[in-house]
Order: sequence, then structure tokens, then C-alpha cells
Amino acid sequence: MTRADYIVVIFAFIMLPYLYMKYWQAPVQGETAQILIGTDKKMEVSLDTDRQFSVEGPLGTSLIEVHEGKVRFVDSPCRGKQCVHSGWLQQTGDFAACLPNHISVAILGHDHVYDAINF
Amino acid sequence: MNPDTKQINLTFDTTREDYRIAWLTALAISIHIIESALPSPLPGVKPGLANVITIVVLLMYGWPTAAWVAMLRVTVGSLIIGTFLTPTFVLSLSGAIATIMALGIGSRLPGRGLGPIGYCLVASMAHMATQFIVAYTLFIPHDGLFKLLPVLMTASVVFGIVSGLIVNAMMSRLRVE
Amino acid sequence: MKQMLINCTVIYTSCLRQLILCASIPFLVTACGSQLHEARLVAFGTLVDISTWGVDSETSEKAIAAVESSFNEINSTWHAWQPSTLTHINDQLAMGEQIELEPDKISLIREASRLADASNQLFNPAIGKFIALWGFQNDDRPQGPPPEPTAIKSLLASAPSMKDLVITDTSLKSTNAAVKLDFGGFAKGYAVDQAINILRSQGITNAIVNAGGDLRAIGRHGDRPWRVGIRHPRESGIIASVETTKDESVFTSGNYERFFDYQGIRYHHIIDPRDGYPARDSISVTVIHDNAATADAAATALFVAGPKLWRKIAAQMGITQVMLIDDKLNVYMTPEMAKRIHFEIDPKPTIIIDDPT
Repeated sequence: MTRADYIVVIFAFIMLPYLYMKYWQAPVQGETAQILIGTDKKMEVSLDTDRQFSVEGPLGTSLIEVHEGKVRFVDSPCRGKQCVHSGWLQQTGDFAACLPNHISVAILGHDHVYDAINF
Repeated sequence: MNPDTKQINLTFDTTREDYRIAWLTALAISIHIIESALPSPLPGVKPGLANVITIVVLLMYGWPTAAWVAMLRVTVGSLIIGTFLTPTFVLSLSGAIATIMALGIGSRLPGRGLGPIGYCLVASMAHMATQFIVAYTLFIPHDGLFKLLPVLMTASVVFGIVSGLIVNAMMSRLRVE
Repeated sequence: MKQMLINCTVIYTSCLRQLILCASIPFLVTACGSQLHEARLVAFGTLVDISTWGVDSETSEKAIAAVESSFNEINSTWHAWQPSTLTHINDQLAMGEQIELEPDKISLIREASRLADASNQLFNPAIGKFIALWGFQNDDRPQGPPPEPTAIKSLLASAPSMKDLVITDTSLKSTNAAVKLDFGGFAKGYAVDQAINILRSQGITNAIVNAGGDLRAIGRHGDRPWRVGIRHPRESGIIASVETTKDESVFTSGNYERFFDYQGIRYHHIIDPRDGYPARDSISVTVIHDNAATADAAATALFVAGPKLWRKIAAQMGITQVMLIDDKLNVYMTPEMAKRIHFEIDPKPTIIIDDPT
């Protein structure tokens, strides 16, 4: 092995981890919904499996459903039910909140092409 | 004027060297054809084991001959398989050109330059990287393709080192003769 | 032949060398964590996404906490219907009283008034009574039916406008009891401007503050500009994208933001002050401008202005980058907007580039 050989090998062994770090950073998954409870609790829910679950807020239990890549509030203890009326959330940036119960649901993008979505 | 002297002598003086180069080229083409039967994550992207021959030729007969053998391998190989001028051929060709250029640079390095492992690694990485760029630019301009890049380059490094070891083994045998 | 090969090799070497340099240096210089920091909070009744670049997460988090307080403060001060400083102001104005106000509140009202003027009152924050009449001054979504034409007509007759305000450096008074201030088409922009100021004061020079889809971006994402995707007003997905430079706001007003459907007709919240009904003709307007408050007001005004008047109003308001989409999905743009917007849909929509000359 010549000195040049060693340089090439070292380059290869530096380049490989760099490539993994660069291209494998973003999680390889479908879209996720982020649920914020109050000001400090965060949940991330994948949208690829259908399910229903409840989230506790100061006012009571909000019921959230995931179905066919979409998510919505099924029910909530608030008076106006604006959150329920928001219907199905599907696209990156879609957002519904039960403000009285301090619970919000937003679709996170898995596509990191855009830094922000304007609508 | 004697009509006989106008006769052009069409006999070739073939040397032992020519036989050897022809034999190596045939071997390279065979390996190329076998490799084409192997499955791969990305159509047309192959480990480049046929590079072993290219580098043996490089070490024994110099860069111009190696370049020639590499081009022959890709062109004749694809004609035989029937993929001439298809996307597979474009990928093979781009890989081969990248390899040739990388080896050309490598052969001009000062001092002792590169040994078999160095050449094989350089060739294999250039080969894979260029094939990836061509595949992305011409055939699959999808960002998700980049997820494959680290894996492909790992394979190229592994195959590069393996090729280098094979070349080492071949060279010791060929030199003895 | 040999010379050509050598030339090619030289070029390839330099490219390879460049590639090697680029590949190794970032790896050596960048820490394992990214320089991008993203946070999400609920404020102003919507989701606010804040991205920062180039500062450590501690600085970023501290600044974002300050931004959150600012948003909450502005929201509670200027809330159009929940008890707030604004509702108190409106009560006083309706009684013809003169109110003493702090300079920062005066300056917001002054700025809104200036923009209303520049828009020929198409942006009219004094029409709070109309908005309440249509049911949009409520936490809950209105159900319909739409208000009676007579109710709308009588409100129209009272003609509330920012011109009815008497603004001094310390006080505010209205000469028209029908004036009810609602800064829905302006306060969000104002809040985003304040947020950017706070981030800047903390030493952050690259950031995006995105309040429910309306945003202002400063600086860059490292070595490339920030990329903003603009949602299609009707279908899912992105209709166009733009790369921001230096300091820009991207604000969109659409008929899909707050609305209710009644007997097959959609009624949305952007009321045309000239007739008291939700503005027809446009389905969305996107404005790019440096200042967010202006962009917010302009997007509202131009939505109301519609395909016929938008060019004139935009010029009056000093807005050079506009994209208006009408109900037939025709896209109207200024040449400046056309130069930088990049359509992401295929086939491209009918584009009409309106030249001021």
C-alpha cells in the first residue's frame, strides 16, 4: 500500500459517515400529526395507521381520530366545537385547535423541500 | 512501376502482448455480462467488479490501453447483451468514463502514486458516484433517491477494496509468468 | 485526441477536487446538530411556526419565548370581540367619548388609517359591525343564515370608516357611532413584525415567523434562501413557490380561511365595505412586501379590489408583488411577481401579467 493508497482509503472512510449523516437525517416515514397539549407537552402521531385516541386537557377529554392519512377532532368538551367543525386535517400546515381545552393538532410535513407554507 | 509494390501488406504482426490484452478484454466483457444478470437496488448500477480487469491492464500496460479495454468492455458487452443505447448502457458508459478519467488522474500522481487498492477504490467510487448522478439527472430526479446514496457508496467502497485485493492476487500471478 | 482527453481529465480533476473539498469541510466544521431550529406554538388563535438558523438552541428558545409573550400580549390587547383594550376602545368610540391611549397603540391605529386611505378604504378596519353582523366576531363558526339585506343596507348607510376618527398623539375619538374597529386584516401582520424585531434584538438574523400561513422571513437558510411554498387555494398541494431574499413578508388572503356554507353558497369573512357582502371575484391574493403589517392590509384590500381594481390599489399602496387568483383560477400577477414566483403545478394556470404602463 502506497501513501496515496492510504489517503484514498481515509477519504473513503470520512466520506461514508458524512453521507449517512447528510441523507439519513430526516426520518423516512409518512406524514405525522403533532399534538400540542398546553404549552409544554408534545405528541407526534403517525398518520399511516388508523386509530382513535383521547387526549386530556384542563377541560376534559378530547377524542382524536386518524383515518386514511387524515386526522380530526371527533369530540371535545368545549362549548363551540370549532375544533370538531374544522373537519379532517390532511395537508402540511393544516391545523385545528380546541383552545378552551388547550389542545391543538397540526399536520407536520415530512417533505423538507419548503421551509414554510403560505396559505 | 511494379504493380506488386503497390500491394499493401495487410498482415498484422501480433505480439504476445496483443494476445494478452485481447484475452483480458474478453474476460472483462464476460464479467460485465455476468454482472448484468445480478439484481441491484437501482437498475443498471452494478458493483463494477469488471473494473478489476481494467486496473490489471492499467498496471501492466498503462492508462491508454486500460481506457481502451474499458470502453470495449462496455460497448461490446452491451451489444452482446442487447442493451446498447438503452438507459442501462448510458449508466454503464458513464461509469466507465468516470473510471477512466479517475484512473487517468490517479496515474499522474507524483511519487509512487497509487497501488492496486488505491486505484480500485478511486475507480469504484468514481464509477458509483457518476452512475448515481446520471441516474438522478436523467432517469429518476426524485429527492428520495438520495436515501440510497450512502448505501451505494458503502457498497462501492467495499467492492473497491475487494477488487483491490483481487487485483493484488492477479498481479502476483501474472508477474510470475 | 490525446490532448482532448487530457483536457477532459484536467476539468474532471478540478471538479473532483471541488467535490472533495465541499464534502469534507462541512463535515469537519458542522457540529453533529443542525443549525436550524424549529418551534411551534399556539398563539393568536392559530399555529405559529418559528424557524431560526445560525444560532444555538438556547438563544433560539429564549427568543421564541419572548415572541410567544409578545403574540399573546398583542392578541389580548387587540382582540376584536373578547374583552380587550380594543373592545373597551370601541365602547368608548360608540359613545362619542375621547380616549387617552399610549403612543404604541396610537401608532398602530394611525398606520391602519394610512393604509385604509391608500387602499381607497377597501381595507377598512372600521367595519367591525359588519363582521359581527355576519357572525365572524365569534369563537364558534357561524351557521348561517346570512343577515337580512335590510340590516346590511342600514349599516351601509351609516358608512363607518377610518376617516371618521380624530387621532392625536395621545387620544382617539370617533365622529361616527357606527365605527367599530376590527384589526383582523392587520393585527397578525403587526404581530409578526414585532416578533421579527424581538428575534433581531436577540441577535438572530435568519428566521421565519409563520403565523397560520402568513409569514415574514429574514436572512437565509444557511447557504441557500428560505423556500416558501404557496398552497393552492382550492385543491390540495402547492401551487407555487418563492425564494425569499433579505427581509420579506408573504401574506395571503383567501376565501377559504373563515367561512360558512348556507344553502349551497359560501360566505367568507372578507367583507367588501362598499356593499357589505363578502367580496366575490377573488379566491386568493398573495402579496410579497417587506413589512408584514402592510402586506397583511394589502392582501385584504386587494382581495376586495378583485381582478378589475387590484392593479390601481396595489400601486397606491406601494405594493409591487401581487398574485391574485380569481374564481375561474386565472392568475393575475405584476411583472415583478412573475419574475420570482415558480409554479409547481402542471399544467400552468392562465397567467395574466399586468403592466402598470
